Amino acid sequence: MRSDVITAQAQGATGDLTGGSEPVRSRRTPDSAHARRHRLWSKIVLYTLLCVLSIPFIYPTIWMIFAAFKPTDEFFRIPPTLFPETWTLDGVAKIFTVTPFAQQYLNSLYLATVITIGSIIVCSLGGYAFARIRFPFAGKLFLVLMSGMMIPGEVTIIPIFRWVADLGLMNTHIPLIVLPIFGPACIVGVFIFRQFYLSLPGELEEAGRLDGLGRLGLFWRIALPLSGPAIAAVAIMKFLASFNMYFEPLIFLRSEELFPVGLGLTRYQDGYGEPLYNTQIGATALTVIPVLIVFLFAQRQFVEGLSRTGLKG
Amino acid sequence: MTAEPLGATDRKVGRTTGRRSGSSKRLARIDAAVGLSFAAPAVIGVLVLGLVPFGYVIWYSLHDWSPLIGEFNWIGLDNFTRLIADDTVWSSFLTTFKYAALLMVLNITLALGLAVLLNQKLRGTTTFRAFFFSPVIVSAVAWVLVWNYLVAANGGINGALATIGIQGPNWLRDPTWALVTVVVIQVFKGVGMNMILFLAALQNVPAELKEAARIDGARPSRVFRSITLPLISPTILLVVMITTIGAMDVFVPIQILTQGGPGRSTTVISYLLYRTAFEQQDFGYASAIGVVLFVVVLVLAALQWSSRKRWVHDEV
Amino acid sequence: MTGSMNRRRFLAAAASLSAGAMVLAACSGGDDAGGGGDAPDGPVELRMVMWSANEGHHEIFNQIADAYIAENPDLVSAVSFEPLTGSGYVNALTTQIAGGDAPDLAWVSEANAAQFVQSGVLYNLQPTFSETEGYEIDDLLDGAIDVWSADGEIYGYPFSNSPFGVYVNNDLLAAAGQPNPRDLMASGEWTWDTAMEIAAAVADGTSTTGFQPSDDPFTNWNSALGAMWMSWGAAPWSEDGTECTFDSPEMVEFFDWFHSQIYDTGAVAEPGAEFDFASGQVGLRLSQLSSSTGLGDDFAWDFVPMPDGPAGTVPVVGQGGVGVVARGDNPQVAADFLAYFTNPENSALLAQFFPPPRESLLTVETLSAAAPALTEEQIQGTVIDQALVGVTKVGHVNMSEIADPVRVGLDALWVPEGDAATVMPAICEAISDSLAG
Repeated sequence: MRSDVITAQAQGATGDLTGGSEPVRSRRTPDSAHARRHRLWSKIVLYTLLCVLSIPFIYPTIWMIFAAFKPTDEFFRIPPTLFPETWTLDGVAKIFTVTPFAQQYLNSLYLATVITIGSIIVCSLGGYAFARIRFPFAGKLFLVLMSGMMIPGEVTIIPIFRWVADLGLMNTHIPLIVLPIFGPACIVGVFIFRQFYLSLPGELEEAGRLDGLGRLGLFWRIALPLSGPAIAAVAIMKFLASFNMYFEPLIFLRSEELFPVGLGLTRYQDGYGEPLYNTQIGATALTVIPVLIVFLFAQRQFVEGLSRTGLKG
Repeated sequence: MTAEPLGATDRKVGRTTGRRSGSSKRLARIDAAVGLSFAAPAVIGVLVLGLVPFGYVIWYSLHDWSPLIGEFNWIGLDNFTRLIADDTVWSSFLTTFKYAALLMVLNITLALGLAVLLNQKLRGTTTFRAFFFSPVIVSAVAWVLVWNYLVAANGGINGALATIGIQGPNWLRDPTWALVTVVVIQVFKGVGMNMILFLAALQNVPAELKEAARIDGARPSRVFRSITLPLISPTILLVVMITTIGAMDVFVPIQILTQGGPGRSTTVISYLLYRTAFEQQDFGYASAIGVVLFVVVLVLAALQWSSRKRWVHDEV
Repeated sequence: MTGSMNRRRFLAAAASLSAGAMVLAACSGGDDAGGGGDAPDGPVELRMVMWSANEGHHEIFNQIADAYIAENPDLVSAVSFEPLTGSGYVNALTTQIAGGDAPDLAWVSEANAAQFVQSGVLYNLQPTFSETEGYEIDDLLDGAIDVWSADGEIYGYPFSNSPFGVYVNNDLLAAAGQPNPRDLMASGEWTWDTAMEIAAAVADGTSTTGFQPSDDPFTNWNSALGAMWMSWGAAPWSEDGTECTFDSPEMVEFFDWFHSQIYDTGAVAEPGAEFDFASGQVGLRLSQLSSSTGLGDDFAWDFVPMPDGPAGTVPVVGQGGVGVVARGDNPQVAADFLAYFTNPENSALLAQFFPPPRESLLTVETLSAAAPALTEEQIQGTVIDQALVGVTKVGHVNMSEIADPVRVGLDALWVPEGDAATVMPAICEAISDSLAG
């Protein structure tokens, strides 16, 4: 069912965020003082609204950065404080000793990279086949894909847990890599690519054929190089999802050295089970800041990549 | 239900390539082989990691299975009879629906509102867009951990309210507030994504149409309702579906913020499943809950799908 | 494309999916239990999971393990001590066992002891312990190994037999003009009621709280309140574990009392509020010996025995036990290592951190190394005297099944208008099946 949605989406919203001329302004009659004041006021209202609305989105991140340098008893104050009264490095100092934080961060990066690349390969191949190649059982196989999407992941975890155990793959990264690349989580990616390849003009491939390209050549030389937006969308989606992975590692991993960073964050306690508030929050900030910095630099490509092909589902 | 556009394209592609080439049969054979092998990883993956495991789940649901002790005994439909009488399961389904519905309403309203705001011709919208979108890329665990401090009974939010003389509720421990609090935290986390999708759709609405309506004397709210909304309704459907599926899967915020409490007010079905399987080591019963969950998801998907024609404008 | 076509395909997909997958699956299913006790060929590696990540603990563990390996190079090549911190210890442990990735040895708390012993998860240690020379199994305190035994055999060793006491922030009490608990003890007035009066006076509701149980009472009822209700002579279920006694007058009285300390006197913080004793935000805190290591000299503090309740003085110990997982790869080797790990000499080493279940080792000398911050008086009075006579906190064979329904039931009490007299019977109703089964 998802494919139609995506069709609809592709027709409804393939807009470019930066594009769109505004004929309205040019048609306006010369500004009267009244109209100018009116516009000034509406601007003020709009900006105030935007600023107020921004608070719940950015305050938590700012708070966590400063909280990392607070002693624990400053976490809960009335009135609440943003900046530490007494700056301390006690919490931050323990980040790397209480759990193998650096290793966990690398684990997350490595898992997310492998999963993203693997997904792009699997999804682009599948999407291309279903969009542009005529092959037997295409319709039926497509139906198989779609039905897989309706199976909630937490349901099938039980048999998969058992298989992983039987194969001796517990406490390894293998199930964490294989599941998101090949499992039902990959279907959405296939759809995104399929949708994209459906919209490629057939003339391109015909020209390729005349140049003597075979099927593989058409995919490799013509379709794939053009699929930047689809790759971007799938890559962003997959990278975010796998960097955030929590449920599967919780079940399949036991060694802290193998944890992704999200799961590691929940294990900040000292030997007696007392939570280390400022260490945990410091580690949380360290997890978030690099991603945010990358985002700030690449936000245009990021957001536009998403809106163009549509992380449509 | 959706093989039509696919089939149609296939046929067209096949025909044109066939006509151009001399040895169309050979090409078709190659295409068949290449197509099958291109599709194979995805299809086999979904079969082996989705459909076959689901078959196992059905099989397991007919057994009493405690993996800790290693017992696995056929008990027929006993798990299902137990399930029918189990209030916990039904209340969890109800909680899941409440969660999903509330999340949907808040998320989509806010996403649309933000998209409309950002679609104004204002300087600095890129910055605000980045603000609203930034939680999307923050790790789910990190986001929830921070909010856990902010919404504690003596945490930042109540502290701020106290300074202006308001005694805030005990957000995560009050049965009437806990689910709402979790939903709101999740909305802030994810609304940026939907906002971007809406923004793209809004910018694709032809300005001439709006302008024409305005010249005809329609007020802005009327233009929005009669022109903009219908034109972006496919995006709304899409966002609704993605958000529902995401809501059915919620796990991290429940596990970290409330562990399903207070009472069972935030025990959603996916969390109940996890606890039944991995805390109580009752794999058979967990599988039975999983089977019911699948049926429910199926029915919901069918309902959403069949209702789309009534409100989605211009779907081709 | 038409609607009916859609619906037909949709149903077809659903039906074929369920049917086809079911056929595929029907041929197989869950079967073998795995594990076994075959004698290994060469030296093996052992793995012990635990809830402690404390460096001091691990230093001792590794020291003992190295000595064992030096003596038995043909049996064991390495022992790893794997901390599983976080709230889901039991979950994580059982998931490992269920996933065929069972550790060789595992820590278990007294609350889950019965469950692990009775379900056959743990390996019988009796033969190994009684055959090991110099083990002195008779030295073990009778009361201490009760929950670790079944049918006269022993399945776990309670390496930590730690009494509950109350940590006092003397500075906070003095600032609030409250009497010192030691003076109250001397005059026989150290009761739960006076303790709560002090606590209520200390709590200002925002930056400090009065009394903090040993765990969060609203999510972990048993580890938080299990030591306290014994002072009321109350118990959650009958001794054989089959009958619910949450609705007994003693239990109702206890919960009524505790409820009023939250919502009437404000001595105990409401659910969801966070305070930290080590940061000086808490007046009185119920806890065990091990917590003293987290305390510096930022404020003056003391560690005193539990106050008296309506049922008089009831010393309570909480236990940490270690057992061999029967489904591990080498249970016999693991048992042999455990016999070494917990023999009298090594128990003395472990006693630096954990009050041992061996009478001969419960001395001020062995224990003061554990908590250098504690005075001799504190160790003798609050730890040793109590450990010798202490009753072990209760657990249950079906603990993992009972814990959540009780938590859910109790949540009805944790509101201002909550009423123990109606909540407690409801809890019994909710768990009676699990208790009986």
